[in-house]
Amino acid sequence: MKTLKKILANVLGINEDAITNETSQDNTETWDSFNGLMLVSELENAFGIIFTMDEVRQIKNVGDIRAILEKKGAKFVND
Amino acid sequence: MKKVFAKKNCSVSDYLKEYSFIKKNINGESGGVLKKIKIAVFSSSTIQGIDKVLFVECYNIGIDLEMFVGGYKQYHQDILNSNSSFYKFQPDLVIISIDVRDILGDNYFNYYQLQDEEKKQLLEDGINEIVSLVDNIKKNLNSKVLIHNFEVPFFSPLGIIENKQKFGFIEFVKKINFDLENLYKQDSQIFIFDYDAFCSKWGKNDIIDYKMYYLGDIKISSKYLPNLCKEYISYIKPLMSMTKKCLVLDLDNTLWGGVIGEDGFEGIKLGLSPEGRPFVEFQKYILSLFNRGVILAINSKNNLDDALNIIKNHPYMVLKEEYFASIKINWDNKASNLKEIAEDINIGLDSLVFFDDDKLNREIVRTTLPEVAVVDVPEDPSLYLKTIMALDDFNSFYLSEEDKKKGAMYVEQRKRTELSKISVNIDEYLEALNMEVTIEKANSFNIPRISQLTQKTNQFNMTTKRYSEEDIKQFSNSDNFLVFSLKVEDKFGDSGLTGVAIIEKKGKKWVIDSFLLSCRIIGRRVEEVLLAHILKEAKEEDAEILIGEFVLTKKNEPAKNFYEKNGFELIENKENSQLWEFPVNKTYEFPKFIKIKILF
Repeated sequence: MKTLKKILANVLGINEDAITNETSQDNTETWDSFNGLMLVSELENAFGIIFTMDEVRQIKNVGDIRAILEKKGAKFVND
Repeated sequence: MKKVFAKKNCSVSDYLKEYSFIKKNINGESGGVLKKIKIAVFSSSTIQGIDKVLFVECYNIGIDLEMFVGGYKQYHQDILNSNSSFYKFQPDLVIISIDVRDILGDNYFNYYQLQDEEKKQLLEDGINEIVSLVDNIKKNLNSKVLIHNFEVPFFSPLGIIENKQKFGFIEFVKKINFDLENLYKQDSQIFIFDYDAFCSKWGKNDIIDYKMYYLGDIKISSKYLPNLCKEYISYIKPLMSMTKKCLVLDLDNTLWGGVIGEDGFEGIKLGLSPEGRPFVEFQKYILSLFNRGVILAINSKNNLDDALNIIKNHPYMVLKEEYFASIKINWDNKASNLKEIAEDINIGLDSLVFFDDDKLNREIVRTTLPEVAVVDVPEDPSLYLKTIMALDDFNSFYLSEEDKKKGAMYVEQRKRTELSKISVNIDEYLEALNMEVTIEKANSFNIPRISQLTQKTNQFNMTTKRYSEEDIKQFSNSDNFLVFSLKVEDKFGDSGLTGVAIIEKKGKKWVIDSFLLSCRIIGRRVEEVLLAHILKEAKEEDAEILIGEFVLTKKNEPAKNFYEKNGFELIENKENSQLWEFPVNKTYEFPKFIKIKILF
């Protein structure tokens, strides 16, 4: 089962255990604008949902992503 | 080499993880055994992650990739400036991907506002832009260049009457693609990648994610990045001389449905029924591979007579006995059969592709003979055709007439071997072949094939120097070099251009720069005829000494004793190379039963 953290870790090249809701573009060096887009594509493919452009623009940290995924009813391991 | 990452349908994030893993753990230790390639990629859009995905794809087939990714929309600056870091990078392959929206600019939407003249101009400008980039690269590099063609749009403001227009928008894009293809049809350096077909294959509707397009100028959705990189691999394999030569096939549940030992002649599935058709079409496609030069062989656990009965007599059997260069139908294990097939045909195990429905057999071969490419055969035979059509292992940049006949030539070889079993000694056998050798200097017709032989020949190759067509052309035009080609014919057929010698004249001293024979004519003493001819020319031009060099590689054992056996004297002996010499006026004996034709 794909988990949110696994995808975050793979795309951003960071350790899974270090990821919290507060992990953000500001405190993660590898989370630049392009990796941010890559992240969205990967989440869409993994969970079978689609983000709107506005939602993508609003993402600042992992908590934001989690909120969008929950709102869209994506089934993911709650980690 | 261990395949660390062979899962199908991996997402980009899987690739990124694998990339970090390889970089962290493996690359340092085994990096030395990998072949190295340098690739430069230019794109008019953002293709984030392509370097890492392509790195993993290359690593999986034993290639260490170093990549130059041109800056966003920087391709003009990099390519037009011959001092740019791109040219300093010296890539082996250059990939250029320019999007149709970027080349057309506003005209992408405005096309129907243009006058006829303006449309023509637009077409010309589009082509010229590509040509100017290509010309600049050609001036500075000999590397292969892969140019994406343009995605043909599937919409039009004119809707259903789009194709009723005189030189309509869609026709316009198709025309650019058509013209580009034609422009480079004869060019051995420039290749057009059919990006439009790639987009169709995966679905144009899905290739672009408009949100990503507006947010980051990404025109190919990242989920298709692995697919795109796999297409590039089709070009990378022949570039790295990783082209396979022979397709080895199982019989039961592979060439026909069912098991002959249980179902019998009438019971197997092969014919016009829904269950029989997948096998017939699979065989037809394999025949078309044979006709483009792929060698075929059988590796099956069966009673020989039962299986041959089907191959020879079944009305729907497409692949008859005469298409197979080696037939191993027995109860031995498949791995040892594969070794024998490679020996029979005289090619390396790394030239074989193995297709077998049995998972266990595939696993045995994968683990015991890692050099053999084993196809992931799907369970459902209706998917065999799709599977074989997707194989990219037989690709080459150039297909000579010799190549197309290769499958048939190896069948002739099998018949020769059968003759050799009847003959008493080897010379008697060779004499019975009625061989005729044609020696010809390099010319515009044979240069592509000569270059190809220097690229591909591994076994009987004294120095294993690889030369491009451009290199051979230069040798051939130079007064200091001689380039000879050798053709062999015998009573079983024409082996075509299968030998090359390149001589450098250094005053009275002539040096054999390259001397090689295609594996299919090794052991037939034609190399002695070629050597005799070189000596004759040397004598005519008052040379005194002929120098031969041997450079040891992993594969050229068959060439090792050539100079010694032919009366050369050792003058220098290093660990992996030797120099030999032969005084030109010394008598040289060569087989008289081979007829010689000299063409200049």
